[in-house]
Amino acid sequence: MNILVCFKVVPDLDLMPGGDWNVDSRLRVETGYVKNIINPYDESALEIALQFADKADDDQCSPGLTALTIGDSKANLHLKTLRALSFDRAVRIDSKEDLRFRPETCAALISAYINKIGKNNVVIMGRQSGVGDNAQTPLICAEMMGWPCITQVSSIEPAAGACLRVTNLVDDGTCRQTIEPPCILAIGNAPNSYLRVPTLKDIKAHGQKPVEVIDAAVLMATGGQPALPGGCELLGIEAIDRRRSGIIIEGETAAEKTQALYYSYLKGWLAGI
Amino acid sequence: MSLDKETIVEKMTALLGKDNVVTDEQVLKESSVDRFRRFEELHGVFTQPIPAAVVYVHSTEEVKAVLNFARENNINIVPRTGHSATEGGLETAVENSIVVDGSGMNKIISIDPYNMLATCQCGASLQELEDKLREDGYTTGHSPQSKPLAQMGGLVATRSIGQFSTLYGGIEDMVVGLEAVFPNGKVTRIKNVPRRAAGPDIRHVIIGNEGALCYITEVTVKIFKFTPENNVLLGYTLDNMKTGFEILREIMVNGYRPSVARLYDPADGSLHFSHFAAGKCVLILMAEGPKPLADATGKAMEEIVSKYGGCKKVEPKYIQVWFDNLNWDVGKVAEEREEIMATKNIGNTTEVAGTWDIINDIYEVCVERISSEIPDITLIGGHSSHSYLNGTNMYFVYYYNVVNCRPEEEIAKYHLPIKKIIVEETIRAGGSMCHHHGVGKHRTHWIEDEYGSSYYILETLKEAFDPQGIMNRGTILPGR
Repeated sequence: MNILVCFKVVPDLDLMPGGDWNVDSRLRVETGYVKNIINPYDESALEIALQFADKADDDQCSPGLTALTIGDSKANLHLKTLRALSFDRAVRIDSKEDLRFRPETCAALISAYINKIGKNNVVIMGRQSGVGDNAQTPLICAEMMGWPCITQVSSIEPAAGACLRVTNLVDDGTCRQTIEPPCILAIGNAPNSYLRVPTLKDIKAHGQKPVEVIDAAVLMATGGQPALPGGCELLGIEAIDRRRSGIIIEGETAAEKTQALYYSYLKGWLAGI
Repeated sequence: MSLDKETIVEKMTALLGKDNVVTDEQVLKESSVDRFRRFEELHGVFTQPIPAAVVYVHSTEEVKAVLNFARENNINIVPRTGHSATEGGLETAVENSIVVDGSGMNKIISIDPYNMLATCQCGASLQELEDKLREDGYTTGHSPQSKPLAQMGGLVATRSIGQFSTLYGGIEDMVVGLEAVFPNGKVTRIKNVPRRAAGPDIRHVIIGNEGALCYITEVTVKIFKFTPENNVLLGYTLDNMKTGFEILREIMVNGYRPSVARLYDPADGSLHFSHFAAGKCVLILMAEGPKPLADATGKAMEEIVSKYGGCKKVEPKYIQVWFDNLNWDVGKVAEEREEIMATKNIGNTTEVAGTWDIINDIYEVCVERISSEIPDITLIGGHSSHSYLNGTNMYFVYYYNVVNCRPEEEIAKYHLPIKKIIVEETIRAGGSMCHHHGVGKHRTHWIEDEYGSSYYILETLKEAFDPQGIMNRGTILPGR
């Protein structure tokens, strides 16, 4: 099994001061001052792939693991960390384009990489990222590859016959199915999927290995299928007001405060459900 | 002979009322530890003796009554306010202890802008006090990372320090007067005066006592004019810590008083600054105060830094955004807990201090030894965050994966061996093993080495004020 895990490096928007949500003439918000992180859904994808590899190792059929991102050199630190975490390859498709709202271009680049270089038969990636929020890349990629795509995946385990046992959320519950690659798996809310941390020993042994850098234009010119036309045009952008307010419940005792909470708020709220 | 749990609860209920005596099993378990044992706590493992009750006091008289009862019945008392301690100071080392929680004594009693004083009860939240002061253009000048959680009594009891300490000082420089209750029931007040030379400065018997001598009930601190509009924030990347220490030294010995003077090594910096300073040290300086002073200090510090090769100026916005997210609120604590459970990767810290001639050696030898001697280390680094005329501190930050051991073995396998290296190397070099977290219960092993011949004074204080040893047994001094 040859697994490709795709991830995006994004600014940690939780650290953005409220007053800094200013949109410039190119419809961009300056986020360069905050720390970069791996998009949380993609972080889950990376950890789930490692957990899958751990379990497959136990069954003595260890998969090949490649981590791939698209972007500039700010992703290299994360790629080195992934090398230290025993990803066999760490690949960056070098692109300085604004890909926030272009999932079709991301999908075309990923497909080109798979077809021309990676020859992967399983692709795992987060369902969406906070930058762009398109939630389309896995689905478009599946369409380009002609592979099935399972969304809202929360765990992946090895199954007999080089298959995968995939758990995902569906409208009316949880679905557990065994599937045969090739396939694309879009990770949703997955419990216990914070990315593990490499030891200094791991970093010394593996983290210094080079990151493979592939020029996006060259990749597309030599192996890619043309990107689908963009599905949306960005017209405007504005910050969502996430301010919260509260009231302080007065009372002499905990019992009094509980009564006040129930009668002034909870009772009406519960009745409205 | 100590009383049984039921009798203790009964007597406490009679003294304080039912609502103020908590015996819920989970609360008692959580009150047997502080952040030092959070890995155990997260796994629901509690290895310390469980207290008989957590009692909530609301007045100095109630504190006095509880302490009298404890003394008469030889019951261990653990004073507590914000519950944000990190060094085991809040662990209940003795079964059927009483945790005396002063968080209900949370009044800001007075703010006196003419004499520049603020007086609070021990459970007053520093964040609330600071917010209230800032509304009127004042500040305490105290900003520890625990500001959203910590309360005044605990901050004074642990000799805490804040991010602006290089200008405003540690809490010991801010406290003007105090009220405390000693285990013999004596309520003592130290009045608020600008200075005194009437014998030893007895404030320091109380400041930093970690609940091992008395219970702090009221605190008066200095306040300062708050003029953030004058702040001059400077940031630099540089190649090594040695150069950074030299810059800090030059700033301090030439008489400049930045409010912030912080120097991060590349490893610790990777947690905060990887987006602009990967692999580099980061130096952060801030001047504040009246505009002419802040401007002059800022300019002078820039000139000093410019003399050192390899220092590259960073746009202040990078530093400001980081600084605005530095403190730990309940949300960050909750997030950390979730992350630790998922990854089994946990971070801890140990802070030490040393004179300029030894601090870089302490830093280098500790990082080298911890990297090579401790298994499963994922990060070892640190920063200097509080500088003085004579030297600076080193705040070691270390993370490790907890591998092949039970939750209750984590401290013995990882945390204490790391602390041992840092403490022993620091004492060997001539530094202090505790800069601002307090001794707690896990550095008592080295307390005699820390004090040397002056240990006599410390031991005599304990014998004089707490002859029965009922105050937070095992804290600062080893348990008897």
